[in-house]
Amino acid sequence: MARKPRPGKSPPAPQGVPIAEAIDMAHRHWEAGQAVEAEHLCRRVLEVWPGQPDVLHLLGLIAHAFDQPDVAIDHMRQACAHPQAPADYFSNLGELCRRRNRLDEAEQATRQAVARDASQATFWSNLGIILQEAGKLEGSARCLERAAALDPGTPECQNNLGNTRRLLGRLAEAASHYDKALTLDPHYVDACCNLGNLRAAFGQPDQGLALFRRAIGIAPRMADAYLNAAALEGDRERWVEAFGWLEALRDFAPDHPRLPAARARTLLALGRAEEALAIVDAVLAAGPGDAPALLVRGMALQTLERFDEALDAFAALGGAPGPAAEGGLVNRGALLTELGRLDEARTVFIEARRRFPRSPAAWYGGLELIASDPGDPARLEDLLRDQSPLPHRDRTIWHFTLGKAWMEAGDTERAFEHIHQGNRLKRAAVTYDADATDAWFAEIAHAFPKDLFRLNAPTDPDPSELPVFVIGMPRSGTSLVEQILASHPAVLGAGELRTLQRILEGIVTPGGQPVAFPNLMRTVAPQDLAAIGRLYLDRVSGKAGDARRLIDKMPTNFLYAGLIALILPGARIIHCHRDPLDCCLSNYARLFLEQNLFTYDMTELGRFYRAYERLMAHWRKVLPPGRLLDLRYEDLVEDPEGQSRRLVEFCGLPWDSACLDFHRTARPVATASAVQVRRPIFREGMGRAAASATHLAPLIAALEGGSGR
Amino acid sequence: MTDVTALEAEGNALLAAGHPEQAEQRARRLLASGSMTVTSFHLLALSVRAQGRIEECRDILGQMVERLPGNLTLRFELAETLLMLGDFERGWREYHHRYGMPHTASLERKVQKPRWDGRPIPGKTLLIHDEQGYGDTFQFLRMVSWAKQRSQARVVLQINLDQKGFAQRSAGADALVLRGELPPPFDVHCEMMSLPMAMGLTLSDLPGACPYLSAEPARVKRWRRRLARLPRPLVGLVWAGRPTHLNDAARSVTLDTLAPLGMPGVTFLALQKGPAEAQAATPPPGMRIERLGDEIADFEDTAAILSLTDLLISVDSSPVHLAGALGRPAWVVLPFVPDWRWLLEREDTPWYPSLRLFRQDRRGDWSGVVTRVASALAGVRDERRDPLSDRAPRRGV
Repeated sequence: MARKPRPGKSPPAPQGVPIAEAIDMAHRHWEAGQAVEAEHLCRRVLEVWPGQPDVLHLLGLIAHAFDQPDVAIDHMRQACAHPQAPADYFSNLGELCRRRNRLDEAEQATRQAVARDASQATFWSNLGIILQEAGKLEGSARCLERAAALDPGTPECQNNLGNTRRLLGRLAEAASHYDKALTLDPHYVDACCNLGNLRAAFGQPDQGLALFRRAIGIAPRMADAYLNAAALEGDRERWVEAFGWLEALRDFAPDHPRLPAARARTLLALGRAEEALAIVDAVLAAGPGDAPALLVRGMALQTLERFDEALDAFAALGGAPGPAAEGGLVNRGALLTELGRLDEARTVFIEARRRFPRSPAAWYGGLELIASDPGDPARLEDLLRDQSPLPHRDRTIWHFTLGKAWMEAGDTERAFEHIHQGNRLKRAAVTYDADATDAWFAEIAHAFPKDLFRLNAPTDPDPSELPVFVIGMPRSGTSLVEQILASHPAVLGAGELRTLQRILEGIVTPGGQPVAFPNLMRTVAPQDLAAIGRLYLDRVSGKAGDARRLIDKMPTNFLYAGLIALILPGARIIHCHRDPLDCCLSNYARLFLEQNLFTYDMTELGRFYRAYERLMAHWRKVLPPGRLLDLRYEDLVEDPEGQSRRLVEFCGLPWDSACLDFHRTARPVATASAVQVRRPIFREGMGRAAASATHLAPLIAALEGGSGR
Repeated sequence: MTDVTALEAEGNALLAAGHPEQAEQRARRLLASGSMTVTSFHLLALSVRAQGRIEECRDILGQMVERLPGNLTLRFELAETLLMLGDFERGWREYHHRYGMPHTASLERKVQKPRWDGRPIPGKTLLIHDEQGYGDTFQFLRMVSWAKQRSQARVVLQINLDQKGFAQRSAGADALVLRGELPPPFDVHCEMMSLPMAMGLTLSDLPGACPYLSAEPARVKRWRRRLARLPRPLVGLVWAGRPTHLNDAARSVTLDTLAPLGMPGVTFLALQKGPAEAQAATPPPGMRIERLGDEIADFEDTAAILSLTDLLISVDSSPVHLAGALGRPAWVVLPFVPDWRWLLEREDTPWYPSLRLFRQDRRGDWSGVVTRVASALAGVRDERRDPLSDRAPRRGV
């Protein structure tokens, strides 16, 4: 943003120097970095010629360089108000506005610039970037093409071409343009960042991160590199790292306009939903309609179980530019599904597919709601082919979608091709250490010897019987068991609570160091155990209302079964299990919204299952009698009434026939099984894996213990 | 949260009051309690540094910079630590961030031309501009001729008025322009203290040709007359630096602190400028001191005097650099944790062969240093008094 001054037009002179010369000197001082002298001359010119556009423009540039964006915009606006203001003043005003996220004014000003002079590549390039940020992708692509045509051969041009290709979905071409830009100028941080984003989209997060680091190495305060690095880490579920990048950005740019929503999203993933909500509410108070903030607001409200408000927040995204509206619809559909409002959910997903026919999330979310058409799988294959190459995450969702679609169409062969491919992609993008998991599970068993339960025999004569924990592998029938029990008038189904995990994460030494589970068992005293139990009850009893039993069906609480028995002597534990191969296949064929990182590789999944089985066997051996009920999913399917009665009896409640009509119960089910529990029990999930044995060899081997160690 | 803030404030106050051990304790307590704030880490780094554990400080700052690469204050502090440890390669790169701190951001010249990257640019014009303190300019003026040689460019040197004469008499620049004046058109620029980064300066490049500055002959002539009647040895004395310097409390002393230097047969010349000069009116008993403060108009006078004296004894301030650049003998008394340019432990400095360093052994304790300087000074005096006698006891300088 620099420009040579135009010759002055008028002769009045501040202290003997002709105005034209004073303006010229001001510019030359500024070129040489002598801002004080430049500014002094500008002020003197303004004294004799108020509103002189050239000096106002220069003052704008100076204010911008010294990081006073609002002052800069103010000067630049005044400069542009002059009838003879040249094109590049408008372009500079546009760029200043873009950096302040004032996209409307930015677009308006830059359009003025190209209207005055259509031959400048920079103007078109700036306009293209503004339109891109405003979600006007087609217009953006046209502008960037034009910029590239006007000024070929410079690194900026290659970078612009890259941007255009990326907008058009031609990612491989885009990458080659960014590469060229970086060859022309290895210190070109924009190209570095753009290429990093592409690498991330290609499923090469480490390479992407290396490029962001390179950009930051050159320009330590390049905010985009930090935001992109955070997004990349979030995409692979490394939220602590994501948060670290955002904190690093906040350290030097606390007011960055994109920081609050990104931070809130990360805090939400880290389980700090209240803080996340407070942040986005502040953003929305300042500027209602901010799409990223609305999306996070919806997600935070959903986490906080304020479902109606969450639905409103997602619905408010309807009018936002492309990706945000898609996010609003998909999230809304998923929440409606979770709430059991399946008709509404169906409508939303139909709408999502209509407006965003290429959205993999719209297809995936609607799979179990919208009756499939026999032509669907082939149509989806075409869509996938047309969009090749797709960003890594979208491609992953597509493969899981097609796996499911072909499975329903009965083509197991093709279904597994996609399921394997989807899992390979997902596994490449996340970090998981099977050895560490094995070791941790063994450590947990070791920390809970049988003696521990004798030594800590309950002293409370009347412990709370409120909590009922439903545990097991994901996809082992925990949702179904909860739905059956929650249909009982005395029972509240609270869903998958992270309460226990959070309490354990919050335990620190007297010196303030966090204590990892199960290490805390080494130092914990009986009264500490009781205190942890009370903390749990304090946090959940608010939800329970009049209910006599509250179900916490976080499956992975199987890690804490021993601890639960100690901290909550009156709590009941129901363990759901299922044919291992069926259970693992069900996990393997599914793309989870979060965590469950052990399900994307058959060997790792089999090893996880075996470690889980060993831990459960340990609990059966050491837990006091009567605390743990084993329930086989297959038995429940064979004999719903008999097994339901067994469940109700274990919970110490009188039988209620509502439990058999569980699929009519209106309550949120926030899991991957949200749709199944709305249906009467089907047998279709049983024994399917056995029929697919040829596709599951590594899983079978791992389950038999023959592989992976 | 308020506990953390209160404890951090307490730690910073302790550090400021000269109790880095206690400040370190506070910092470690904060970190053990899980307070991973920048302030807590920073407090730890600075209190460790104040205790002279420079490598440990470098490691802490290095980790923080890894975590917060956009925090340029941390990066500048890391730069100073690296340079002090002699790691010039990374040190000069990090030193580049000196204008990214809240109190320096407005000082940076936003030159609208690229910075010279150290490559030859025959036919182009390179603008080198001075910055920061007078001492820095004396120290880095040597690099102007190196830059001229390396760049093969026409070199324009922009310099402050007080030091322009020295630049005029030294080699390197094709043209001189004063700070604030409009320089002629140029293609690339470089701050004087970015020259080391641009040119990849290493310790083995130092000191280069020495002396690289000279005094003005007319002034020397005048001062020779002025000093002629004073008994030798003549020892220039500077006991305080510019009071606005961030580390002035650690580097400056009072004239009384230097009392042990007063000894028969030595004439001190008070080269001190600024408010501390008044102390020369009441010198410690036994110190013969000639007040020159009012007669010294500028650095040209100081340079002329240094050309005529036998020795300069000074705290870490600009006259030291002037003496070094003129190739005149000077002894520098340094605080326990000195400025980065004096490196650590050594008694000499690669920057100036004619300088000798006297370092504090303990933080804040000048008595040991002054005793050592006094004893060395007595040696010089005795040698001078009887330079030809083999029987006179010799003590090393």
